[in-house]
Amino acid sequence: MLFHTWPFLVFLAVVLPVYFSLRKTFLWLPWLTLASYFFYGWWNPYYLILVLYSTVLDFFLVALMDHCPREGRKVNLLERLTRLRFEDRVLKFAFLGSVAAALGITGLAVFGPQTLRPTMAAFGVIVLLMGLGSLYSSRRIWLLISLVNNLALLLFFKYARFVVENLNTLTAWLHFPIKLSDPSTLMPLGSEYLLPVGISFFTFQSLSYTIDFYFGNVHRERNFLRFATFVCFFPQLMAGPIERARHLLPQFNQFPPVRLQNFTDGASLFLVGLFKKLALANYLAFYVERVYDNPKDFGAPALLLATVAFGWQIFFDFSGYTDMARGVAKLMGFNLILNFNNPYLATGLGEFWSRWHISLSSWFRDYVYIPLGGNKNGTLRTYRNLFLTFFISGIWHGAAWTFVIWGALHGLGVLITRELERSPVYRDRVPKLFKQAGVFLFVMFTWIFFRAGSLSDALLIVQRIFTAAWHDPQIPALMLVLIAMVWLYELAYESRLRDLLKTSGVRVAMAALMVLYLCLCSSGGGAFIYFQF
Amino acid sequence: MATRPPHAQPEVKPAALSKEVPFGVNEVRLNAWQWLAALGIAGLLLLITPWIWQKFEVFTTGPDYRVPYQLSKDYWLYGRRIRQVTDPGKIVLLGDSVVWGEYVLPDGTLSHFLNQEAGATDRFVNGGLNGLFPLAEEGLVSFYSRPLRHRKVIVQCNVLWMTSPKADLSTDKEEQFNHSRLVPQFSPRIPCYRADANERLSAVVQRNVNFLAWVSHLQNAYFDQKSFLAWTLEDDGGSPPRYPNSYRNPLSQIASEVPSAPADDPQRGPRSPRHKPWSETGQGTTRFEWVDLDSSLQWKAFQRVIGILRARGDDVMVILGPFNEHIMAEENRPAFHKIRDGIEAWLTQQQIAHVVPETLPSQLYADASHPLTEGYHRLATQLWTSESFKTWLNR
Repeated sequence: MLFHTWPFLVFLAVVLPVYFSLRKTFLWLPWLTLASYFFYGWWNPYYLILVLYSTVLDFFLVALMDHCPREGRKVNLLERLTRLRFEDRVLKFAFLGSVAAALGITGLAVFGPQTLRPTMAAFGVIVLLMGLGSLYSSRRIWLLISLVNNLALLLFFKYARFVVENLNTLTAWLHFPIKLSDPSTLMPLGSEYLLPVGISFFTFQSLSYTIDFYFGNVHRERNFLRFATFVCFFPQLMAGPIERARHLLPQFNQFPPVRLQNFTDGASLFLVGLFKKLALANYLAFYVERVYDNPKDFGAPALLLATVAFGWQIFFDFSGYTDMARGVAKLMGFNLILNFNNPYLATGLGEFWSRWHISLSSWFRDYVYIPLGGNKNGTLRTYRNLFLTFFISGIWHGAAWTFVIWGALHGLGVLITRELERSPVYRDRVPKLFKQAGVFLFVMFTWIFFRAGSLSDALLIVQRIFTAAWHDPQIPALMLVLIAMVWLYELAYESRLRDLLKTSGVRVAMAALMVLYLCLCSSGGGAFIYFQF
Repeated sequence: MATRPPHAQPEVKPAALSKEVPFGVNEVRLNAWQWLAALGIAGLLLLITPWIWQKFEVFTTGPDYRVPYQLSKDYWLYGRRIRQVTDPGKIVLLGDSVVWGEYVLPDGTLSHFLNQEAGATDRFVNGGLNGLFPLAEEGLVSFYSRPLRHRKVIVQCNVLWMTSPKADLSTDKEEQFNHSRLVPQFSPRIPCYRADANERLSAVVQRNVNFLAWVSHLQNAYFDQKSFLAWTLEDDGGSPPRYPNSYRNPLSQIASEVPSAPADDPQRGPRSPRHKPWSETGQGTTRFEWVDLDSSLQWKAFQRVIGILRARGDDVMVILGPFNEHIMAEENRPAFHKIRDGIEAWLTQQQIAHVVPETLPSQLYADASHPLTEGYHRLATQLWTSESFKTWLNR
């Protein structure tokens, strides 16, 4: 269900009144969970199993982690195995449960349908690890299971085909007589192999809870519904912002205070998001699609402009989604984190990433960059860690070489701008506008790899931008006017004109104009770009 | 439940729990009063713009006017046309392309010849719409023909829509058809209509929000049935394509007068190559897979159309036909007669005035249901001399 479609409006018209009418009962939370599952199931009810599985497993893994000592202890394995003597009954049950599950899985793998075997094998690994976790009373093993499980889901549904195709190409090139079969053949009971919408978001959100608990940054959540709602809270389930347990989970402890301001703020955010998506992103998409689908047919100006148009399209699309998500959450009394902060006004690439998809950047900082060592072990190690973080972030965005290159380019870019910022000449003498333009141009260049249909297309576009003839780009003038207006507004907002833009008259006029423009010019549906990630 | 061992107490570091989140950047943040003002301004403009528009946009109709073919999906314009017919003495003919006149020019339609018989120029108004069928007609009558109250209305019943499950839209296989935004979106269910929930809901909203119907009018009349934004990206169909509208100002497209049909439509009228008897098109007789009245979606929709009109106090006359019986395979006729008799019996039972004109000579049909110009002439004469028609006209 997309925020900018009528079914969502109907959904909200049903969910909100019931939610508010249940505010004095304990049922508001189950209702929110149910609504979130319905929202997700609208796309494909079968993949609800995946969200539920991930939620249930992480909930119990943290519970089991909570029953293990924080400091490693010596465990008498023999006693545990032979006499089932565990200090903690929960761990004993977990061990027995794992053994029973292992038997069940083996039975299903042997006697069940053949198409179940790969799934059972995967479960077998999880169950084996669970058995070990109980046996050793090891928090680390429970964390490992959460990591393995969430990343395996992500790897299988998002990257398996890409990996298999590349390995098959490699083996063919090396004349190895090995050919891996397509991952769709591993699906149980002949079900369809599709990329579940939002998988990168809900797995990361769930994972952050287990990691945070492991490091003692968050309390264990004992209410399953609260945790389930945290994982699948419908405003941010499909494309973020990726919330942290310590920020969002406590908000589900009790019915949040809802004041009139929640409605006015929520509606303000939603309107701006809707405008960004329908009036701007979808319009720009037409031109971008035209050029990027047939790059060889277009000259350098069209390719350049389409690239810039894509840069704005993805910004409006994704930040529009976030605005709407935050708006809807606010209507219900919840605060989601800020995900975008005028990224194209950044003066350095590091700053760009603290303004663009903030929730993902901070996720990678906290769970990849810092665990890798962060900036604590010298310049070279810091740069290696930075590069690796951006490289992985690129892969997170999609299973294609174009995303890998995109991530790597950003990694390199961050290193270069970081080094430049160290030089006093660049830091103090180069005008801010020049730095902003530099970052903007670099980010636009990297978008080529992000948007191109294939690596060869991306390279062709880069080549043609520098070598192709200068034909009329035939970009609609209206599109350029709209982009210029948004840019000017952003610049004005960061200048002394901010107070003028905050006056009542301007705000009312802008809101009224946006409503009218949406009614008059909206360019129809189209899913959000970030849903594919 | 097991008690938690003391060693398992987590050492949670102090965390910033749910601290105040900044509202956003570039705030367009309205308070309640500002929202009221903004919605008031927007609402007022949404309400009055279509009303003001029709005061300024010239809409020339005149005798024999019919909504131009290229504006068939401009339901706002259709509604405007119906609103124009203020004289209660005028009789509106509703129906599909048979009433509209698929193969004929405006002066070759049924309404034209009825006017001729009546010695008037615009007593009979062509309210037909190209591509219509009963399921869509229901939407057209319900939402865009509301001014049709307490007046005489002629509705043509075309059994063509019951000649096959496909024509009846009762097949399970997905079908694309005209005027999908007019058909019932949720109930009754049309099995071959597979639009998603968003498309269905947006059709429902458009029917009920006049401003959106007006926007659709602008798109149909001035922007090649595209949204304004899509229009700026339109290609010329060439290879390689050119984009002639890239640098054009969309506002300059809007004219002060509703586009009219070409004076001499090359696709219609006696001089058009399409205007010839069906037998000369190389088409042989056809065997139809008639759909029973009991299970026909189109027939039920037609019944509802009549119900809506009568509920508005309209005095309805139904013209059943003129279907081209000559095109039918011999063994197919009993089924046709059964359907025709069934319709007639229902009309009689409901005390609805109706005429079942005699089948026209074979050479006066262009296809299974559309007469040629002379066919319309004869049909009008038949109607005019029919006792039922006269009685209905004079009551």
